[in-house]
Amino acid sequence: MTEKDIILVIDDEIQIRRLLGITLDSQNYKTYFACDGKEGLVAAATFHPSLILLDLGLPDIDGQELIIKLREWYKKPLIVLSVRKSEEEIIQALENGANDFLTKPFRSGELIARIRAAIRNSQEKEESPLLNFGSLSIDMINHVVRKNGEIIKLTATEFSLLALLAKNNSRVLTHQVILKEIWGYGYHEQTQYLRVFVAQLRKKIEDNPASPSLLVTESGIGYRFGN
Amino acid sequence: MKKKKALLKLGLDSQLYQYLLVVVVISFTTIVCIPLSSPQSYHIISFILFFVVALLAVFLGIGPVLLASTLSAVVWNFFFIPPYHTFNIAATEDKLMFGSFFIIALLNGVLTNRVRRKEILVREREDQTNALFQLTGELSKVSGIERVQKVAREVFKKHFAGNLHFILQDGNNKLIKPPEEENINSEVHLDYDLASEVFDKSEKDCKAKNNASESDMIYYPLTGIRLNPGVIVFNMENLEFRKKDTFWTTYFTQISNALEREFLGELAIKARILAESDKLYKTLFNLISHEFRIPLATIMGASDTLLTSRTSLKNKMDLYNEIFKASERLNHLIENLLNMSRLESGKISLHPDWCDINDLINKVTNNLREELVNYVFIKKIPDDLPLVRLDFVLMEQVLYNLILNSCQYAPISSEIRFEVLYENGNLLFKLSDNGTGFPEDAIPKVFDKFFRVKESKAGGLGLGLSIVKGIIESHKGTVKVRNRNGGGAEFTISLPTDIMSLEQLNVE
Repeated sequence: MTEKDIILVIDDEIQIRRLLGITLDSQNYKTYFACDGKEGLVAAATFHPSLILLDLGLPDIDGQELIIKLREWYKKPLIVLSVRKSEEEIIQALENGANDFLTKPFRSGELIARIRAAIRNSQEKEESPLLNFGSLSIDMINHVVRKNGEIIKLTATEFSLLALLAKNNSRVLTHQVILKEIWGYGYHEQTQYLRVFVAQLRKKIEDNPASPSLLVTESGIGYRFGN
Repeated sequence: MKKKKALLKLGLDSQLYQYLLVVVVISFTTIVCIPLSSPQSYHIISFILFFVVALLAVFLGIGPVLLASTLSAVVWNFFFIPPYHTFNIAATEDKLMFGSFFIIALLNGVLTNRVRRKEILVREREDQTNALFQLTGELSKVSGIERVQKVAREVFKKHFAGNLHFILQDGNNKLIKPPEEENINSEVHLDYDLASEVFDKSEKDCKAKNNASESDMIYYPLTGIRLNPGVIVFNMENLEFRKKDTFWTTYFTQISNALEREFLGELAIKARILAESDKLYKTLFNLISHEFRIPLATIMGASDTLLTSRTSLKNKMDLYNEIFKASERLNHLIENLLNMSRLESGKISLHPDWCDINDLINKVTNNLREELVNYVFIKKIPDDLPLVRLDFVLMEQVLYNLILNSCQYAPISSEIRFEVLYENGNLLFKLSDNGTGFPEDAIPKVFDKFFRVKESKAGGLGLGLSIVKGIIESHKGTVKVRNRNGGGAEFTISLPTDIMSLEQLNVE
């Protein structure tokens, strides 16, 4: 890392801004702050941050609207911080273009991990044909999955599900997005298929399917891949 | 007033008819008897005339009866006692006979009439008693101010063919003004000012008021021992109000008592609700301030030590840890309070979706792994359990709260057993621990808000299990708790749910 990554924090709470400032500084990020939506839009255009942390409850602009406005030109990762633990709101934010979400209060460790993963994913210029997740490796070209070096047999649907999740490493994919991608538009509410395939896939790829570390359930929202 | 005159006239007319009727009947009897007339039979004819007079006395008033007896005596003398067609009486015994005939006819008529009037009086009294009896009976059966009014109106209408209206007080000794529209729409106009006047005086004094609708409305105060329920208004067209004053006093006292009873009942309920909510409010504030203060004190104390004094690295790490734990505890408190208020306000809406129960339980146990590390957690889930339709997020919270509860009460390293079953369209969760269980008297209150078992070591607001109950009930399910025979508590959740077996899905 030759140059410090810039992170823009848009949050109206001074205490949260101070905390995030200290936390991010300790991780060697350069941080800019904005305390409302208008300031945030200006700051994003001025500093070209590598990542934006956005609080949904801003005094001037509705958080969802701000995501849409930013997404008109801003292509880099956007992580939503939300006070309300509302699944609808989070799903809405993800549909509007947010990459990830965290509910306040959150652990700083969790926040840093999400930020790292999001920035890393956005910086990967070319999709590597070989993805590695601990003991699991996925060969995207030959459709071969290995666990501890041994080939695992996956059905076509299982593989496309795994591939979709793995390509979006660390990012939450909503139920709808996954169903549309893999089964097509008519299936976007048929979560039962998703449940069954997730359970099957876990049995094959997880070290301990009862405590999944790769294919993680995000309650009421969707799934996230990666540790 | 016109009407009243007409009524009076009709009464007089009917009197006149009675006299006419007497003349006609007596004349008719005479004509019928004339052919039978003979010196031997005129005694028999006197009996016929007695009979007719007695008969008339049953139906007619005292005046006509007097006329009938006089007339029949005269007729008997004139037509039947020899010499005929004169008022002279030849024989002395016939003179005596005529005298006794006149007296007997008179007595007969008057006595019969008196018997009849007595009978009418008795019947009236019986009617009154009946009316009172029915009123008391019906009133004792109903509760609620509205119902009492309705019953009183119905009973009154049935007995007296009149309408009762109520203007009741609002609980602060002031009459409630009847809504304007209602007053316009109904056939009677209730005079609020007059009613207020009657109510304020509260004497057993009724006021009649001449209305535009030509009928006399009577405003009668309903008085009670501890409060006066209001004023009763009724129409007295067919009733003789003044004459039966004691009856009406009793009648309306019955209604008044019934209303007073209901008023006092309502006041008592209101007072109790107020006292209860006041108590809940106090409990809540004591509890919240206490529960929040402990983690806050930890955070303040620990951070102050870190800021101001030099401590070893190990101590520092311990203090950091304490701060973190305290903040987690605060977070948990707030989550519970928020969830409870969302459940109470009905803002939680269900999002049922197909769920893999294994996934649900794994998620919960992973979130609780720090707590469960100290226990032997055994889960039994059938391999062939189908997908079920539930709100994943809410059920996650239910199981989290339930298992956390067991962790707080069960002794360290004891066994916590979790079992899932699907029976007759219901998904069953059973959670049992080896703790002390609940005191028997606490069992019905376990799911109450802010209820905590006395002297329990665990802190908290006593909301966890109320949230469980709220969520389960919003799924139309039930949750029960009992003490196990071997010790410890057992929670059973039963949820009606759709299922989808894996075969149905027809996956590759």
